[in-house]
Amino acid sequence: MKIKKTIGFGIRICCLALGLVFITSSAAVAQSNNYFVYIGTYTGFRYVHHSRTWGVGESHSKGIYVSRFNSASGDLSEPELAAEITNPSFLAISPDHRFLYAISEDPLSLGPPLDHSSYVSAFAIDAATGKLRLLNTAPASGTSTCYISIDKTGKYVFMANFGSGSVSVIHVKDDGSLGELTSFIQDVGHSVDPSIQTEPHTHFIGVSPDNRFVIVSDLGLDKIFIFHFDDNTGKLSPSDAPFAMVYPGGGPRHFTFDPEGKFGYQLSEMSGNVDVFAWNSTQGSLTEVQRVHTVPHDFFGDNHSGEIEIRPDGKFLYESNRRTRGENVRGPDTIGVYSIDPKTGVLNPVQAILSGGIMPRNFDIDPTGKYLLSANQLSNNIVVFSINQTTGKLEKTGKEIQAETPVCLKFVPAGR
Amino acid sequence: MRMKNTFALLFCSILLMTVSAWSSPAASDDYFVYFGTYTGFTYMREGLPAGGSKSKGVYVSRFRPSTGELSKPELATEIVNPAFLAVHPNQKFLYLVTEDPLSLGPDFDHESFVTAYAIDQSSGKLTRLNSMPTGGTSTCYLSIDKTGHFLLFANFGSSSVTVLRINDDGTIGQQTAFMKHIGHGKDPAFQSKAHPHSIDTSSDNRFAVVSDLGVDKVFVYHFNAETGALSPDQPPFIEVERGGGPRHFVFDSSEKFGYSLHEMSGLVSVMAWDRANGSFTKVQDAKTLQADFVGSNDSAEIAIHPNGKFLYESNRRFRGPEMWGPDSIGVFAIHPTNGTLAEVEQVSPGGTMPRSFAIDPTGAYLFVANELTGNVVLFHIDPATGRLTPANRELKIDVPVCIVFVPHK
Repeated sequence: MKIKKTIGFGIRICCLALGLVFITSSAAVAQSNNYFVYIGTYTGFRYVHHSRTWGVGESHSKGIYVSRFNSASGDLSEPELAAEITNPSFLAISPDHRFLYAISEDPLSLGPPLDHSSYVSAFAIDAATGKLRLLNTAPASGTSTCYISIDKTGKYVFMANFGSGSVSVIHVKDDGSLGELTSFIQDVGHSVDPSIQTEPHTHFIGVSPDNRFVIVSDLGLDKIFIFHFDDNTGKLSPSDAPFAMVYPGGGPRHFTFDPEGKFGYQLSEMSGNVDVFAWNSTQGSLTEVQRVHTVPHDFFGDNHSGEIEIRPDGKFLYESNRRTRGENVRGPDTIGVYSIDPKTGVLNPVQAILSGGIMPRNFDIDPTGKYLLSANQLSNNIVVFSINQTTGKLEKTGKEIQAETPVCLKFVPAGR
Repeated sequence: MRMKNTFALLFCSILLMTVSAWSSPAASDDYFVYFGTYTGFTYMREGLPAGGSKSKGVYVSRFRPSTGELSKPELATEIVNPAFLAVHPNQKFLYLVTEDPLSLGPDFDHESFVTAYAIDQSSGKLTRLNSMPTGGTSTCYLSIDKTGHFLLFANFGSSSVTVLRINDDGTIGQQTAFMKHIGHGKDPAFQSKAHPHSIDTSSDNRFAVVSDLGVDKVFVYHFNAETGALSPDQPPFIEVERGGGPRHFVFDSSEKFGYSLHEMSGLVSVMAWDRANGSFTKVQDAKTLQADFVGSNDSAEIAIHPNGKFLYESNRRFRGPEMWGPDSIGVFAIHPTNGTLAEVEQVSPGGTMPRSFAIDPTGAYLFVANELTGNVVLFHIDPATGRLTPANRELKIDVPVCIVFVPHK
């Protein structure tokens, strides 16, 4: 303890000395270990959800929670309520870390013949406490909105509206609040799975690293759409090669670019495949180079792949496989680790590890790339894994917290 | 050549008799009449090929109801597919929906837009203020709430209704409501999913009524005139006959009754309106087609005369000149106490496919827009009997589909 303090003091002296020359950068160094982790949850559905009574009123969550995370020790504090809100099932953080945007997935589900309107809310982040202050709320312009992201300028938020099969773009004002709808695209069509692919179901929307293109994964159509994005107007327009496809029935869920923007990785929910694409950042086109099965061929049970993410250094890819139909059905509940070939983007399997709970719908890698936090929706816990910097392998740290129905995790540097 | 010129001159003078050039000074009872059109589709639409229109946007004529004088239409603004128009209660602004400017066919649907215009009080020309996505596809209808603070849209293609705020300067602002309808109806061709086709606020501005052609329902929403939010009423809708296809809706002038016109069945459902609770009770299903009619009918427009005594509705063929259609305007007398309809007459609209018509605010004339023959035909209205007689006035406008009046100040 004493030694630690002395070291801490020494560091502080160092920082002070540096601070004389580089005030801002020294502040960043001093604070870099402390993060807020925002936890998006389901608070429960009032009526029915996707025509199923499953999930009605099962959660005790009240909204968005915040924990503190230390990226040096891997310590994760008990969550506190950051903002009371209905079904904040996905979150996005502004590039300057000042604002958080949350969707409210179907706060008033009414079932047929009325579907539900989903909403998006803007919050200001209190840099000291991590608490969220509501700025305003707008309709997401769709139903069962399941994904939100923000462009590189922080001026536009993108929503994927799973229920109504559309994507929408809303302008973000200078004060962080939400403004006008600037684009709306409706997908049409279907694919081969009669249980979920009778109509379009957009599940992901995100910008390319250069902010010039937008990728939309449509789980209902087995397509990955590519749009031109104009960050002056917030408009989307179809690119010349408007989409790429996955194997029919796959159900594209989440997509990620590698940090350099050379490759794209599409995780499909039903097939559990990751499709690897070469990304032509000039034309905005995806060319498939590999298809990886993340679930063993002899696996028998219920798998719905959840999240996909690449470590900040671009060397390893992580993806989660979860059961979705409750505790009585066998599910993989694993996180798969793959190394990325830097030249070709091709994946090689490294590890598949139990997520430390049931239904790892989501996980997030801390910004330093040293830890992975898995959010287990059904077992209501968040489990901390350390990441081996050389091999990419995950190892349980033994640290975990209880959190009600966690379904989305986002890191924000604390105490700016 | 000379002969030709003389003929042209003669032809022009004949035209002048029907469409007089505007010579008289402006008077207090003059109106601008705006005509929305289809300018054509880039790709395809509902399986029909692209193109087929020479229209360039919204056209405007001047009209004096006291004398029937009507000027030749001029282009008020160039815009793609201004399929439906609405005028702000302050008469200074006009809003229109651009239905699918870039139709791409599956697997992309189309994004529709709404554009705000300032109306030039002397020329009637329109100056664009701004444009916004409506939040839906194949947007076919818009209306403005009674306070003039909100635009309400029916998005036929994407099965939703949306509300956008109107800023004080007339520009269009944020979306304030989005409601999605799900389900289907009986007709596999048009009812495989929900298709909202109209949305209007009640005169007390507390409710919004939505006709859904795809699910055979008329929905009622609570409308919050402060926030622009919609919330489902209890009960949330009234069902109409299966396969009917509710398209457009009107309240009577006393707002005791609602009239829902059904595109496929050609019926008008007469419903008693409980304005305290916002609920409907079915009173009558009035037929607008003759019992022995054989052919393709799509009923289109419905309106009530300003005196509240007569209801008008149009029946059109749908698929072009080779199909036989009714192409008629039906006139019905409204029973003053129970709201029921009794047919007065059926009149030929003077063209093919009367998709839209409008009664001028004084109640003297009815303008019919014939989509396929590209003409707008005027009828005198007898205020005592409701009967229509041709006024021998007609305008040539390519693919006219919507008519609105604005007082000329």
